[in-house]
Amino acid sequence: MHSVSHYGPALSVKFLDRFVYAGYGPFLHVYEYATGKLANKCLIFNKNKVHGVRIGDNGLILCYGSRSVNLTSIQDVHEKSSIVESEKHTSEWIISGEFNSDCSQFYLLTCYDRVLTCDLECHVVKKSAVYGERSILYSGSIKVVSEDKVFINAGTVMGGIIVWELFSETLVANLLGHSGSIFYVEMNRDGSLIASCSDDRSVRLWDLKSQKELSVGWAHTARIWHLLFYNNDTRLISVSEDCTCRVWDIQSGKLLQSAIHEVHLTKNVWCVDVNEKDQLAITSGNDGRLRLISLTEQESLQRNFTIKQISDDSKVPFAKQEIIKGFHWFSFGLVAITSEGKILQYGNQWKFLMQNPQFKSYSMTNGISKDNIVIFSNNKCNLLILKFNSEGSEIVASRELHVDTLTKSQNCMVCRHHDRNEFFVTLESPNPHDPFMCLKFDTDSLNLRGQFGLKKPESFASSCLEIYESFLLVGSRFSVIAIFDLNNTSQESLVSRRLTPGDTTTSIHLVEFSIGGPVFVVTNRDGYYNFIRLKLGNPIEELEIIHSNRTARGFLEGAYYDNNGDLITYGFKSELFYIYNETQCYEKAVRVCGGAHRQWELARTPEGFMLVFIRASDLHFTRVIEPKVPEVLQCGTHGREIRDIALLKDFKYKNGHLFCTASEDTTIKLCHVHESTGQVTTFWTLRKHVSGLQRCKFLSSKLMISSSAREELFLWELTTDCNTKPYIKFRQALPISGNNPDLRITDFSVKFEGSNFILAAVYSDSAVKLWRYNHLQNRFQLAVEGHYKTCCILNASLFEFKNQSYLMLSATDGHLSLYNLTNTMNGGTVCPLPSVESSIQIHQSSIKAMNISVDDQNDAVRVYTGGDDNALAICAFHWESQTKRLLPHLKDVQRSAASSTITSSELINDDKQLVTASVDQIVRIWDTENDKLVLQEQKYTTVADTGSLDAVSNLLLIGGVGLSVWKTEHH
Amino acid sequence: MGKSSKDKRDLYYRKAKEQGYRARSAFKLLQLNEEFHFLDDPNLKRVVDLCAAPGSWSQVLSRKLFDKDDYTDRQIVAVDLQAMMPIDHVTTLQADITHPRTLHQILELFGNHRADFVCSDGAPDVTGLHDLDEYVQQQLIMSALQLTVCILKRGGTFVAKIFRGRDIDLIYAQLGYLFDQVTCAKPRSSRGSSLEAFVVCQGYNPPEGWQPSLDTNSSVVEFFQDCPVGSNENRTIAPFMACGSLESFDSDATY
Ligand SMILES: C[S@@+](CC[C@H](N)C(=O)[O-])C[C@H]1O[C@@H](n2cnc3c(N)ncnc32)[C@H](O)[C@@H]1O
Repeated sequence: MHSVSHYGPALSVKFLDRFVYAGYGPFLHVYEYATGKLANKCLIFNKNKVHGVRIGDNGLILCYGSRSVNLTSIQDVHEKSSIVESEKHTSEWIISGEFNSDCSQFYLLTCYDRVLTCDLECHVVKKSAVYGERSILYSGSIKVVSEDKVFINAGTVMGGIIVWELFSETLVANLLGHSGSIFYVEMNRDGSLIASCSDDRSVRLWDLKSQKELSVGWAHTARIWHLLFYNNDTRLISVSEDCTCRVWDIQSGKLLQSAIHEVHLTKNVWCVDVNEKDQLAITSGNDGRLRLISLTEQESLQRNFTIKQISDDSKVPFAKQEIIKGFHWFSFGLVAITSEGKILQYGNQWKFLMQNPQFKSYSMTNGISKDNIVIFSNNKCNLLILKFNSEGSEIVASRELHVDTLTKSQNCMVCRHHDRNEFFVTLESPNPHDPFMCLKFDTDSLNLRGQFGLKKPESFASSCLEIYESFLLVGSRFSVIAIFDLNNTSQESLVSRRLTPGDTTTSIHLVEFSIGGPVFVVTNRDGYYNFIRLKLGNPIEELEIIHSNRTARGFLEGAYYDNNGDLITYGFKSELFYIYNETQCYEKAVRVCGGAHRQWELARTPEGFMLVFIRASDLHFTRVIEPKVPEVLQCGTHGREIRDIALLKDFKYKNGHLFCTASEDTTIKLCHVHESTGQVTTFWTLRKHVSGLQRCKFLSSKLMISSSAREELFLWELTTDCNTKPYIKFRQALPISGNNPDLRITDFSVKFEGSNFILAAVYSDSAVKLWRYNHLQNRFQLAVEGHYKTCCILNASLFEFKNQSYLMLSATDGHLSLYNLTNTMNGGTVCPLPSVESSIQIHQSSIKAMNISVDDQNDAVRVYTGGDDNALAICAFHWESQTKRLLPHLKDVQRSAASSTITSSELINDDKQLVTASVDQIVRIWDTENDKLVLQEQKYTTVADTGSLDAVSNLLLIGGVGLSVWKTEHH
Repeated sequence: MGKSSKDKRDLYYRKAKEQGYRARSAFKLLQLNEEFHFLDDPNLKRVVDLCAAPGSWSQVLSRKLFDKDDYTDRQIVAVDLQAMMPIDHVTTLQADITHPRTLHQILELFGNHRADFVCSDGAPDVTGLHDLDEYVQQQLIMSALQLTVCILKRGGTFVAKIFRGRDIDLIYAQLGYLFDQVTCAKPRSSRGSSLEAFVVCQGYNPPEGWQPSLDTNSSVVEFFQDCPVGSNENRTIAPFMACGSLESFDSDATY
């Protein structure tokens, strides 16, 4: 076995020149941060993770972590794939390391507050400590102020911060104030100030000389792990368990929070470093993500104008209550209309263009940025269309129009054709019997090219628009979408109701063409989004939902694919406007705007975005500049334990395989692993579950099931025939019996009958339930119900043997138990679970892993089990012809197969071998021939809390806190 | 390793309330004793309960050792970082067991007498850095062990909470040098989904000629340096024993 790729906790990061050095598990990753290119991956330690990296002026790099140290040249980490041969060990855990002033030695601070001074051959030349202070530390740092002044800043569990001087071994200060363990202490350049962070969620600033606490910074909502001074000790940056990175200004000894960045998923940001030259910060977290953020001030990018300023600037007097009614942003600036019908333009300054009294009091503004066209409409069905030249200096075409088919209009929307020079304007009257009017214009001449009166479907209130070929897609309130064929207007529209729980559809946007038809992303204000695919025809045959998901936050207003194919969503959450990378799950930008329910527009600009909004009748502009550097250097995986992995084994997808990971963080990720590089790409993070996941499995090439606590069991459907990526949608949930949040569906198994299937679900209250699933009706129906005992069931497997149907269970009582279900599922009534056909105790406690191999020829069913008792066993169930029963025979048990719980196993190589994962972080391959377990190979994995495993051909995926991809050799 | 709010709902929690125990942990000690009977020895006189708050193990010990009130030669000392409500017949001490000073305090309380039994149910705060958490837990066990070797009589028993993560086999090997028998025991009241288990070390039998001496200026690691347990990289797997009958409540089940 060998490792090909790994994603998981990254504990340290360091900038130097053009590079970022990141301690990534036992590796050091070297990135060129301007391009995001991974320059090299170098294995530093055999087992331990790289907790810290220090770079000396002499071209040496010091890595430490746990009880390991490795000192090497920067050149080596750029060029070599491994330097483990020079790894050294200490007897105590290393808290921190640092080079001395001329880089001829380095210091290691251990968790018992002792400093080892080492030469460049890594020999300890001196041990130093202060007398009597040897209880364990969680943190500490070494500050080399000068050749003869080195401070040790130790963060204790109960005794605050202990500062001592290395050469004299004297206590300098004991700073008391934090409650709870100190998780990081850092000294400024000249050693006069100390900053610390702790269990108590505060950041504190101390004056060393007076030993006084200067300031306490409260803002983080969880424990704080790391901090550092930057910009000549005028600022601090801190990272926390609350997933944020915060910037603090130090103003005359006081800490003032000046920025917050949400940087990582679910839990724990471990480390941060700052590049002062480029004003960049990099953070690393438990999710294995490396996030780059810009620390440049954003204030200069904001402007706001009061009505008075606009009036003064444009030199037109405004009426008393006159306000801005609408606007549209173009590359040359803004075009706006007031409640008096004054049309104004803003480039460098405000300019009055014209006044049109028709647009007094009520008007709506739309625009087409690409063609520099602005469209004003009023409630009397008048339209004013203006086209500017690209500099915005001239109006090159204009058109005024009255639509007389309608008497009144309450909504006007605009969209542009993707390939033809046409745009469409729709008008909707409040009268449900009036037609929904659509006008087609030429984008150059603004000539009217067509007019369509469309029949409005029932309870319809248009809210967004998209055009594809001759099909007009109209989003509406209550999550309704109507599709009209403009070539065939007599035809009824195709209507889809309740795509999501049901607020206003906020956007429809074409994203790709697939063999099955064009694909659109549809967003809803309630936070849900769907991808829909149109099966075109005449009439339009079908609207198929191929993807459904919920965003992590607030009101969702729109979504699109960026140049990398990542889905970007935007909208409001509480007081903020956010732009979010949904594919990689990180916030791109947030701006304070006062929340939803206001006039706003987000425009894409060459440098990023322009957000225009009205707040308290002032007009605000905020520019969002896309950073020149990548936003992430490594996207990582879940922020918490991966509880199960399901590989889709039926077919290959783009040089690899699709797989799902189910995590304690309540999400499921749909990912792809490249078969030769092991590179993992995440497509989707599914947020339907509300409790930590237990299991996920593919049932077929299209269907997947996941289960968790609160009796959640969801059936998902996969679509793999689109060009850009696979899509997955929720199909159905298993009915639940009550609302016990602790009731877990711990495992399940299915047996297909055509396109329908039987599902066996097992529960933590010992319940066993069999359900029929009807594909056409999309319905689960309970068929069999009963209880095993009173203990928690952990595994279930349905199988056929000699034309009989069986269910095998394993539980926390260490037993394997077999049910014969052949004659149980009759008729439409719910049958009781039959009594156990045979049962055997194999383990002392929980059977965590169970695999079944059915061998018809030799009259046996083999069950491979791994348990909490460290044991691994083979049990064969033989067919006894007299009693006509399958009876168990224990074939082999390895009592100490692992030094800890065996959590997962998988049969590979035509069932001739079994791979096991256990909490001792060792993956083992066992030969199973002749019903004997013979250990063939074992290897340490850096994935802690190792809890899941899956294999396909020679690829092995190992999950826990992180995800590793290994390759196995065929024997 | 994480705690779960589920603990509040389970049957052991209710049962603890009924029987007047301060925590469900009491059943872990009781179930361990069901298998190993270390508390059933009539000669059991002096015990130390490390990391004892809120005190349910001390309650179990108090009920076992002081089934009659008039024992004068029996003694229970309980130590924790947290303050503890008083328990009959238990001397409580608020202190850090990793601090060498604490060991001196306990030794003083015992005078010249040796203890028959030492237990530790200690769990440090988890940070989420798995390797660090495992290390700190191991150091806590080593601190408990440091005290134990200074105070436990030959043939005595030591019980300590462990988390069965990576390198647990190193701990087993180290304990194997000091005790005749080392077992990894898991009471049924401890959740199968947690890594928690207990080492039950029976028959204290230190290497000939090794004189452990406490020095406030040395760390646990240094303390064990001249004993064969210190720096050894040997690994063994202690036999596993599930404790408590199959009929007892399953802490993983939902009722
Ligand atoms: C699981 S509780 C013990 C429960 C106890 N056995 C009972 O039955 O009530 C773990 C205890 O270990 C204590 N602890 C952790 N580290 C410690 C240390 N270094 N010194 C003393 N106590 C410690 C904690 O304060 C906590 O109360």
